[in-house]
Amino acid sequence: MARFQASKYILMKNVITVKGVTKIYNPDTIPVHALRGVDLQIGEGEFTALVGPSGSGKTTLLNIIGGLDDASDGSVIINEQDIAKLSDSQTIEFRKQNIGFVFQAYNLIPVLTAKENVEFVMLLQGASQSDRDARVKELMSAVGLSDHLDRRPSQLSGGQQQRVAVARALASKPMFVLADEPTANLDSKSTADLLDIMAKLNKEENITFLFSTHDQRVIDRARRVVNLDDGAVISDKTIE
Amino acid sequence: MLFKIAWRNIWRNKIRSLTVVGSIVIGVWALTFMMAFYDGFVTMYIKSAVENDLSHIQIHNPDFMEDKKVEFVVENVEDINRMLSSDSTVSAFASRSLNNGMIANSKGSRGCQIRGVIPEQEAALTRLNDKIYDGVYFDKSKKKNPLIVGQKLADKMKLKLKSKVVLTFQNVDGDLVSAAFKVIGIYKSGNTIFEEMNIFVELSDISRLMGDKTMIHEVALMLDDVGLLDTVQSAMKAEFPDLLIENYKEISPDVNLYESQMGVITYVFVIIVMFALIFGIINAMLMAILERSRELGILMAVGLNKLKVFLMILIETVFIGLIAAPIGLMLGYFTVLYYGKVGIDMRESMEKIGLNEIIYTELDVGSYFIITVAVIITAIVASVYPALKAIKLKPVEAIYKI
Ligand SMILES: Nc1ncnc2c1ncn2[C@@H]1O[C@H](COP(=O)(O)OP(=O)(O)O)[C@@H](O)[C@H]1O
Ligand SMILES: [Mg+2]
Repeated sequence: MARFQASKYILMKNVITVKGVTKIYNPDTIPVHALRGVDLQIGEGEFTALVGPSGSGKTTLLNIIGGLDDASDGSVIINEQDIAKLSDSQTIEFRKQNIGFVFQAYNLIPVLTAKENVEFVMLLQGASQSDRDARVKELMSAVGLSDHLDRRPSQLSGGQQQRVAVARALASKPMFVLADEPTANLDSKSTADLLDIMAKLNKEENITFLFSTHDQRVIDRARRVVNLDDGAVISDKTIE
Repeated sequence: MLFKIAWRNIWRNKIRSLTVVGSIVIGVWALTFMMAFYDGFVTMYIKSAVENDLSHIQIHNPDFMEDKKVEFVVENVEDINRMLSSDSTVSAFASRSLNNGMIANSKGSRGCQIRGVIPEQEAALTRLNDKIYDGVYFDKSKKKNPLIVGQKLADKMKLKLKSKVVLTFQNVDGDLVSAAFKVIGIYKSGNTIFEEMNIFVELSDISRLMGDKTMIHEVALMLDDVGLLDTVQSAMKAEFPDLLIENYKEISPDVNLYESQMGVITYVFVIIVMFALIFGIINAMLMAILERSRELGILMAVGLNKLKVFLMILIETVFIGLIAAPIGLMLGYFTVLYYGKVGIDMRESMEKIGLNEIIYTELDVGSYFIITVAVIITAIVASVYPALKAIKLKPVEAIYKI
C-alpha cells in the first residue's frame, strides 16, 4: 500500500512546466509568431503527443523546452529549474543530465557505430566502462537491435536508426525524452515498431515521453494529446 | 571517443583529407630540402673558404692587418714552425709572403695579391698543386720566376701557359721592384673572386727580388679536428703573445655571418611554409565543418560542450598533420640523403657570386625536430578558426538547416 502511494505521488509530479511561452522569430525584420502564449504541464511518466499541422509550432515548442532555443517571453521550468536562468554552458550540462532528444531524422553520428552512438552520451557523463557496456546492452536489446551493435548508421534502416536514437536518448537516464516527429520518415511498420518500443519503455521503466507528430496512427497511441494550432494550444485531452 | 570521432572524420572525405595531407607532405618535404640545401651551401661555403683561402688559423704581425706594409712581418717564424711541426693536432701549415702589386702584360695591367709560397707547404695546406688544371705546379728544377695564376685572371688578361708578365711591387725601402715572370700553371679554386685576385710565386723568388730578405707575412694552419680550434688558438696565443692569432671566423666576417644566420634563415623558411599550409588547412576544415554542421548540432544537443567540440576539430587537424609529417620527413630525409651523396651542381649559377663548388645537402636531427614541431603548431593554429566557427553553431540552426 505504501509503495502504491509512493508511485502514485511520482506519477503526479510535474517534470515540465511551460508558462505563457511566446516565440517570435526575426522580431526586427519580418516577425513570425511561432508560439503565442503556450501553457503546458507534463507530469512524470506521461506519454504525450504534441499534435498540429505543419507550421503550428511543435518543433519550436520542443526546442524551447529542450533548451535548444530561447523563448521570447514566458518561462520553462524543468524540475523546479527555470532553464532561461542557466548560462550557455550550464544549459548544455543540464541537457546532458536531464533531457533525451530524438530528432526527425539523421540523429546519429555517422562515423560512430550504433553502440558507440549510444555509449557516447554516457562517456560525456563520465560513466565507467562496465556501466556503459551494461547499459548499451540493455538499451539495444530494449530497442530490439542487440545484434546490430557494430553497424554504422549508414548500414541501418531509417527505423533502426530511430530506434538507436531512442536508445541514445535514454542512455543518460534523462528525466524525459523529447522526440520531434520521430516517425516522420518511417514506413508504417517501422512507425509501429518504434511506438511499441517507446510505449514499452514508458510503461515498464516509467520514462516520460513528449513527442510531436501529425500522423494519426501515432496520435492513436498517445495517452494524452495536446493540440497546437498557429502557436497556441487549442485542445488537451487525456485518454483513459 | 573524441579521438575516435576525429580520426574517423578524416576518412569521410578522403579526397579532401588527402589533399590536405598531400600539401603538408609537400610543404614538409620542400622545407626539409630547402633547409638541407642552405645548410649544405653554408658548409660548402665555409669549407671552400677555409680550404682554399683562410685555413683554420692565421698568424700575422698585428700591424700588418692594419696596414699591409711589407715590413710588418712575422718575426719568429722559426719558433712557430718548430711549435707547429711538433703539434700533432696540426695537419698542415704554410708560411707566405703577401705583397700587393701589379701584374702587367701587353693587354694591360691589374692589381693583385702576390703570394710568395713554399711549394711543399702550400701543397700540403691548400692543395694548390691539385688545383692546377692547366700546366704544372712549382718545381725547383725548372725555369726562373715561375708564376701560377687563377683561371679567372687568366681569362681576363688572356694569359696562357708560358705567357710572360711583369710583376711590380714595393720592397722594404718603399722602392718599386719589377721582374718578369712566366706562367707555368693556371689554377681553379672554386672561388672566382679569389682566383682573380691571387697569384702564386715561389717565396724564394720574392726573397731574392727583395734583396735576399725572406719576409713572411702570414702563417696559416689547418687542424685535424675543428673542434680543437679554440684550444689550439689559445695555446698559440699564450706562446706568442705579440702576434695576432685569429681563427677563420674572426678573419672572415661573412663566414661568421653565414654560420650565425643559419638559424634565422631556418626559421624564415619554416614560417613561410607554415603560412602557406595554414590557409590550405583552414579552408579544408571550414568545408568539413559546413558539411557536418547537422551532426555538430546533434553532438551539442546531446551534451558535447564547446570545449570538447573545439578539441574535436583541433584533434582532427593535428591528426592530419601527424599523418602527413612523417611522410614528408621521410621523403625529405631520403632526398637529403641522395643529394648529400650525389651533390647538386649549381656551379654555373653560382659563378657570379664567386663560388664554384657542388653543394651537398645536409640536415641535422635538430632541424627535423624543428620541422615536426612546426607542423604540429601549424595544425593547431590552423584549426583554431574552423573550431571557433564550429562552436559558434547554434544546435537548433545546425540541426534544422536544410
Ligand atoms: N528559424 C526560424 N526562423 C523563422 N521562422 C521560423 C523558424 N523556425 C520556424 N519558423 C516559423 O515558425 C512557425 C512554427 O514552425 P515550427 O515550430 O517548425 O512548426 P512545426 O514544427 O509545427 O511544423 C512556422 O511558421 C515557421 O515557418
Ligand atoms: Mg517541425
